[in-house]
Amino acid sequence: MGKKIVIHDFEPKIMAFVCKWCTYSGADLAGTSRMDYSPNVRMIRLPCSGRIDPQFMIKAFEQGADGVFISGCHPGDCHYNEGNYYARRRNTTFRQLMDFHGIDIERIEFSWISAAEAIKWTEVIDAFTEKVRELGRHPQYDDEVVDPYAQFLVQKDQESA
Amino acid sequence: MIEQIRNQARQLLENGDVDVVIGYAEGSDPSRTTPIFIRKAEDVEKLIYDPRCINSLPLYLNKRHEYTRKGWKKTAIIGKGCDIRAIVQLIAENQLKRDEIYILGVPCEGVVSHPEKWDGSLHDGNRASKCIGCDVMIPHETDFFPGEKPDVDRSSPYEATSKNVATLMELELDKRFAFWRTDFDRCFKCYACREVCPHCSCNTCITDETMPSWIDPAAHKKGVFSWHLTRAMHLVGRCTGCGECTRACPMGIQVDLFNQRMKEVVQESYSYKPGYSLEDKHPLITYKVDDREDFIK
Repeated sequence: MGKKIVIHDFEPKIMAFVCKWCTYSGADLAGTSRMDYSPNVRMIRLPCSGRIDPQFMIKAFEQGADGVFISGCHPGDCHYNEGNYYARRRNTTFRQLMDFHGIDIERIEFSWISAAEAIKWTEVIDAFTEKVRELGRHPQYDDEVVDPYAQFLVQKDQESA
Repeated sequence: MIEQIRNQARQLLENGDVDVVIGYAEGSDPSRTTPIFIRKAEDVEKLIYDPRCINSLPLYLNKRHEYTRKGWKKTAIIGKGCDIRAIVQLIAENQLKRDEIYILGVPCEGVVSHPEKWDGSLHDGNRASKCIGCDVMIPHETDFFPGEKPDVDRSSPYEATSKNVATLMELELDKRFAFWRTDFDRCFKCYACREVCPHCSCNTCITDETMPSWIDPAAHKKGVFSWHLTRAMHLVGRCTGCGECTRACPMGIQVDLFNQRMKEVVQESYSYKPGYSLEDKHPLITYKVDDREDFIK
């Protein structure tokens, strides 16, 4: 059992914000069923896809994520009845905002995955990882990762030495 | 025109119908006007209205400001069309009640883009870009209007007022990012764009939160991008396009381009124009079962 391990030049970092009622359970099912899916994804469990604030995605990109994956229950299946409908509207506009800002919206993926769709989860995650791997590193914020205050401290340290 | 407004304001104050009239008065130099709060009937002569009156007065109706806590029961406000849009949006968001406000509408022919550009008259060279194609020069929601109010068709879909939105959209992705990178390089996070916005109504702004600190307070590009994206996202479907953020920016960054683009998106996706209806909820707090989901896998 198990996939043959392939070594790639570049392993993308992918943040996944998922709903605990559907997608998280779906991923759990994938795990307990011993399915393989790409290990690049780092999952954060939230109560509902409606809880996923665009702030999280902005922060993820800022902190060096190469791709962001958002997932929740299918329309009509939300544990809170309507959370995913709000998430859908919010993401429609947020994607356009990121596009206008100049960030490739291919790096943001949205998917409905229910608790039973472990196979869909593995497929979607594998496909998304492959896509982001082809897009390469997300370079936009690179030269800004340096903390100016830390730089200042280092400088002071060197001066006193 | 202004005589009629003054008379109405005097009457309102004398009868005790309103506690305060918010309007414009002569400013510190001939090119400027200043917002004024009038509480005595004899002061109404100070009220003026002309193309120099660029400030957005609904800002003072926003609950985050102390003026709203002064115990004034009813406020009269002089509104040009775009300001009345902001008032209507505040009412639609339950930030205000319609009967707390008495709107003195003024017919507007456009305002100058910046006080420094005022040379005695309004012409194409100094008109604010929001005034081109404006459909509320005759305001839509008023309690008092000097003269007859003609019917104006306001059903046309929203179009971005700045040409730069379309120009940017034609650029390639990385060019667009490069534009923002150089433009935002000048931002030093004074938050003037937030302070001047009539719709920013959080008691504690997310940038002021420190635990956790979602938006890096430093003025390097990471913190700046994060701030402007957050700001734009919080105003999706709510921004009425008064353009005050761009005018208030001391570095001349066109911060409202994001808002204009988002207004276009909201128009395309949900056919919603903010600021025209007292009842309609803004699109991100409501939903339809059959909303578009072409991007969802």
